[in-house]
This record gives sequence, structure tokens and C-alpha cells, in this order.
Amino acid sequence: MRAAGSAMVLLLALAGCASQEVRYREWPPDTPAANNAVNLERASALAAEAASAGKSAKTEAAGEPVPITAADAPSLATYDPWAGFNRSMYRFNARFDEAVYLPVANRYRRLPSPIRAGVHNFFGNLAEIDSIINYTLQGRLGRMVRSVGRFAINSTLGLGGLFDVAEKLNIPKAPTGFGTTLAKWGMHPGPYWVIPIYGPSTLREGIGLAADYGTSYAVNVANLYRGGTSWGLGVLNAVDKRANVDFRYYASGSPFEYDTIRFLYVRKVLIEDAGLNRSKPAKNPNPDAPAGQ
Amino acid sequence: MKQCVVAFALAILFVFPVIAADPAPIQAPPAPGPATGLADLAALRATVFGTPPQDIAPLPEKVPLLEMDLALPWARPVPAVFWFDRRLRVWFSAQDKPAPLAIVIAGTGSDGNTAKLAILRAVLYGAGYHVLTMPSPTFPGFIVSASSTGVAGDLVQDGRDLYAAIQQIIAHLPRKVRITDIDILGYSLGGANAAVVKSIDAAERKLNIHRALMINPPVSLFATVGRLDKLYAITLGNGDAGVERFYQQLYAALANLYQASGQVELDQDFLLGAAASILKTNAEFSAAIALTFRIALINVFFAGDLYSGSGVVVDPRHPPTVNAPLEETFRILRGKPFSEYFTKVFAPYYLRHRPNSTVEELIAENRLDAIGAALRADPDYYAQTNSDDLILDAAELDWLKRTFGERIQVYDHGGHLGNLGDRRQVADMLDMLGGRWTGSAP
Repeated sequence: MRAAGSAMVLLLALAGCASQEVRYREWPPDTPAANNAVNLERASALAAEAASAGKSAKTEAAGEPVPITAADAPSLATYDPWAGFNRSMYRFNARFDEAVYLPVANRYRRLPSPIRAGVHNFFGNLAEIDSIINYTLQGRLGRMVRSVGRFAINSTLGLGGLFDVAEKLNIPKAPTGFGTTLAKWGMHPGPYWVIPIYGPSTLREGIGLAADYGTSYAVNVANLYRGGTSWGLGVLNAVDKRANVDFRYYASGSPFEYDTIRFLYVRKVLIEDAGLNRSKPAKNPNPDAPAGQ
Repeated sequence: MKQCVVAFALAILFVFPVIAADPAPIQAPPAPGPATGLADLAALRATVFGTPPQDIAPLPEKVPLLEMDLALPWARPVPAVFWFDRRLRVWFSAQDKPAPLAIVIAGTGSDGNTAKLAILRAVLYGAGYHVLTMPSPTFPGFIVSASSTGVAGDLVQDGRDLYAAIQQIIAHLPRKVRITDIDILGYSLGGANAAVVKSIDAAERKLNIHRALMINPPVSLFATVGRLDKLYAITLGNGDAGVERFYQQLYAALANLYQASGQVELDQDFLLGAAASILKTNAEFSAAIALTFRIALINVFFAGDLYSGSGVVVDPRHPPTVNAPLEETFRILRGKPFSEYFTKVFAPYYLRHRPNSTVEELIAENRLDAIGAALRADPDYYAQTNSDDLILDAAELDWLKRTFGERIQVYDHGGHLGNLGDRRQVADMLDMLGGRWTGSAP
């Protein structure tokens, strides 16, 4: 009831905003010097990587890469049997993001960065449990051990996950989930699916997300997922996720944005799948079949 | 060879003149001569990758950022398919004391908050300016919310729309903002837009714009886009086959790199690294540049066709609904060069609305020499460009040098915008806008 009342107030406020001649939205200040420092760091890392290309040992024995040729690329068209639903949902997500999700995330971004980093690390550390389970299911034991190590270090030295000490010890995070496990088991991504609020996905990734949540709920570490604060914690997790994603719906201004995002997302999934199994990308025998079918 | 091409193009233009009442099909602008930087790998690389972070001028720690979304009174009804572009979105960074205002206009098809604008905003804010960054009049968000025609790409009309929009924005800036002077600048097409806005203001005196700076501007709009069309045809061919081939090549290269990397996620960092190793040859860089431009043109073409009712890809009797599938429209537009936008949408629209105008006049009005007298005589116009900028040919570069004299700085390298934000470009830009420019160093 209270939620319905809040939604009504929000809608009225938004309706009021809609008729204004000018809408102002204050963003957290830009930090150009720090941004450029990050770019510089990235450029040096890339240069170092390029210099050592070919020399680096693989972290796990997953077989030799299979060379992928241009003929293996899927069609320029994309399989989207649920396009009607997906387009409506993309539009809903864009409106929700603009009216609620992004403004809340922007307010959150105004908090001091050590607090935000703490929250981000905390949720990242909780996600290690899901990673441990899924790396085990995937049979990638090296990575599983890494996740166990990260969880142990960050939960103790990192004060319950508030600090990512493992990262500083050169054990970077590499989260995984049930969607990737299904991919490793050879399940096809399935149709493109725009999930409410979450955004672009596929059927397989959607199932994976539900399973990941189910796992967290079942494990219920420190009663965080079933206790009285679980609702608030879920919202904080969602806000932290949004605050760390640099994307704005329709910043492109283009009516083709839905098509562009779908094109890129499906190809990203297909390339990741092929990388995961060291195989050629999944491709329909029919050369005219759209990508992802 | 170049003279032959130009002579042939001129012959076509003069032998087959097209006027408004002529039922003969409208001819595309003459085929342009080659640009200065096309064969130069360094220029192509600089154009694609931009200024390396180590060369960027000192930047301030923090820049305040206010987004303003304006509903403009003259906006045309918003087509359902553009529901998200109802308001003009601009970005403002205010000093907390009285200060000059720098208005910065983005390049072709770009919004008001691009990475290039962010660099210009930062250095201008750091130098004490209030900064207003604006989308290009060819950005779909501008076409829908602020264009009085919906048919973008006409320097004069776009300049008028920009001028009107800027007045509205300034009238709605936060009350505490105190402006002591107004300067305007832009990069690429935005540079030409900035100069035209100043020239309109010189006649109307509504804003009293002081200085205007053009960074890597085109000299002839249609020659520049014709050059990019040609680049597209050379590198990707006509139709879908070339694009498909280029895509397949990029896909395979990316997939192989990803497999070799052992990474978990194909994220932004991975893509940035991949770009550096995937694009290698002149042809690949050229194809990437041509394709980027073509994608920007797709939006301009689609909006223009929809607003003008030309019916090239949009049936004017059944405009697309809010959730309409647009795959096929996108596929068709991908194969259409600018010359087709010109002959089927742009020229018919403007010839209809300017009854005494001719195609030749439309082309001439979209050259910088339409405001050449002001550029030559008024000491408050400045320009920066590169001798290897691939949107100019030698004659155009020469025209810029002759027109601006001491008020232009031509750098040896940088391609198109590949040195924007570097120390020297920024120092010169601030000197020009601050009235301290004493001419280019030998």
C-alpha cells in the first residue's frame, strides 16, 4: 500500500516535471584530471600487454584456441523472436531509468568515494560465493580456488568485504554466474530478451540471473538475504550496480538504438561463448539465419 | 589528375544545370578532389584514436556539470519514433564568479556531451570560462527538439536554429550565473556552425558574441561529405557486401583476440585494447572512419526523410510507430550515400522552401566562403587545423590560410581532430579566445 502511494507521488511529480519549459539535472562533478590519469594507466597497461603478447601463460588449461575466420561470423541480422515485447520493455526501461534509477544512482554517486567503494566491494565479495559454486559446476577449479582465496582474504583482512585486499595482492576478481555455467555446459544463448529494469540479456542469461539469486537466497550468508534488511540491501545492490555502469538510454538520440544495442549484445555473448569453450562461435547451418538463432 | 576530376565535375554541373522548376532529377554535388591526409597512416591513426592521454593539456580536478533539457517553443510535433528526443539536452558548467561564457558545438551527428566536448569543457572551465556544450544541429536530438525544418545539414538554417536555441538556453541559465562576455567555438562541422552563428549575431546583435574559433572545420560541407562517401565506396564498396565483409573481418579478429586473452568478460577495456590491434592498414582505418560517418548520416537521412515527407525510406502516410521494427530501414539507409540524401531529401526540400534558389546556390551557401568576407575582415574569427586533416584538400587548406592570415594555426600532424586537447592546441585555443593571439609561430 505504502509502495503504491509512493509510486503515485512519484508519478505526479514526474507529470509536473514533464510540463516544465526547462528541466535541470545536477550531475556529480566531472573529474577530468582523474579520468585522464585512468586513461593514461590504461594506455600503459595496453602497451605493456602488447609488448608481452604471446609470452603470457594461460591461467587455466582450457585447450588451444580454435582460430576463427571471417566465414565463422554470424549474419549481420540478429535473431529476436520477441521483438515486440523487447522493444516495449526497452522503452519502459529507458523511462524508468530516466525517471527513477539514474537520478537515484546520481545522488548515490555524490557520497564520498571510500563509502561507495566499500559498498561495491561488499557486494562483490558476496558474489564470490556464487562464483565459487559456479566455477565448481563449470569444472574450472583454478578459478574456483581463486574465488575461494579472494573470499577468504577479503572477508577477513578486508573487514567483511569492505576492502578488496585480494586485488591489491594481485588476485583480481573474475566473477561468474549460472548463465556462464549453462554456456559452459553447451546451452545455446536462446532468444534476445530485454529484462524489465535489468536490460539487454538472453533467455539463458535470464535463467542464470534467477538461479544466481536463488543460490544467494539458499546460502543466505549472515542472514543477509532473508533477514529484515534484505529488501534494503537488494535496493542498495541495484543502485551500486547502476552507479557503476556508464550508459544512458537514448544518449545516441537515435531511433536505431534498440537495434544497435541488440546487435552488439548478441555478438558479445556469442564471442564470449566461443571463448569459454575454445570453439567456433555457434552458428546456424543456414548461412542466412540471423545471429543467435 | 585532380584538376581533371574537378573540371569533369564542373562540366557536369554547368552543362546540366538544375533549377527548382526543372523536372529533371537533381544532381549530387560535384565529386570532390582527394583530401590531404587520406594516404597517411599517421593521420588516419590520429583521427581514429584521438590525442594520447599523455599529450593532453593539464586538466582541472573537478568541473561542475548541470544538464539542461529544454522544450523549445518553436519545436515541431515530435514523431512517435523519436519520443525520447522531445527536449534539447545541453550541458552547462558554471563558475562561481562573473566570467566569460564559452559555447562549444559538437561535430557531425554528435550529442552535447562527447569525450571531445568533455576535454574542451575541462580546459575552458580550468581557464575561467562558464562552459555551455551543445549538440551538433545534425544530432537527432537537436533535429527533433530544436530544428525548425527537420532537414539538417544546411549551414545557414542550422545556424539560425542554433542561434535561436542558444538565446533560449542563456535566458534559462541558473540565476546566479553572471556572464561578462560570450565566445563561441566548435570542432569539425561544429566549427563551421560556430562561425555562422557569430555571423548571424553580427547582424542581429542579440547575444553580442565576441570571438569565434573553428577547430578542424570543413571548408565546403558537400565536398567534405562527398569525400567521405568516396572513402566509403573505395573501402567498403556499394551495397551490403562490403560492410558485411568488414564486419566479418572485425568479428573474427575480435573473437580470436578474446580467445587468446583468457578474459572473463568482453568489456570496454578489452575493446579499447582490441581496437589498437585489430585496425592496422590504411584500408581498415579508412573503412572505420567512413563507416562511422555513414552511421551518423543514417540518423540525419532518416529524420530528414520523415520530416520532409520525401518518402525515400519512410512512407509519409504511415510513419513508423513508437515500437516499429526498423531493421530493414537501417539496412537500406546503410547503403545510401550522402549524395542521395542531397538529391532526394535535402535539395528538394530547400528548393521547395526557397523558390528562387538553385542547386548551385544551395551548394555555394554551404561553403565557408558564404561568410568569407566576415572571416577575412573581422579580427575576432580564428581557426585551427592540421595540414593532414583528411576532410580538406590542398586547395581548401590554402583557402583557410589565405582567409584567416595570422588568425589561423595549422599544425603539421593530427589528422582530423587527432590533436584536440593536446598542450599546444589548447594553449593556442586559449590565446585565441582570450585575445592574446599574436600569430602562428614560424
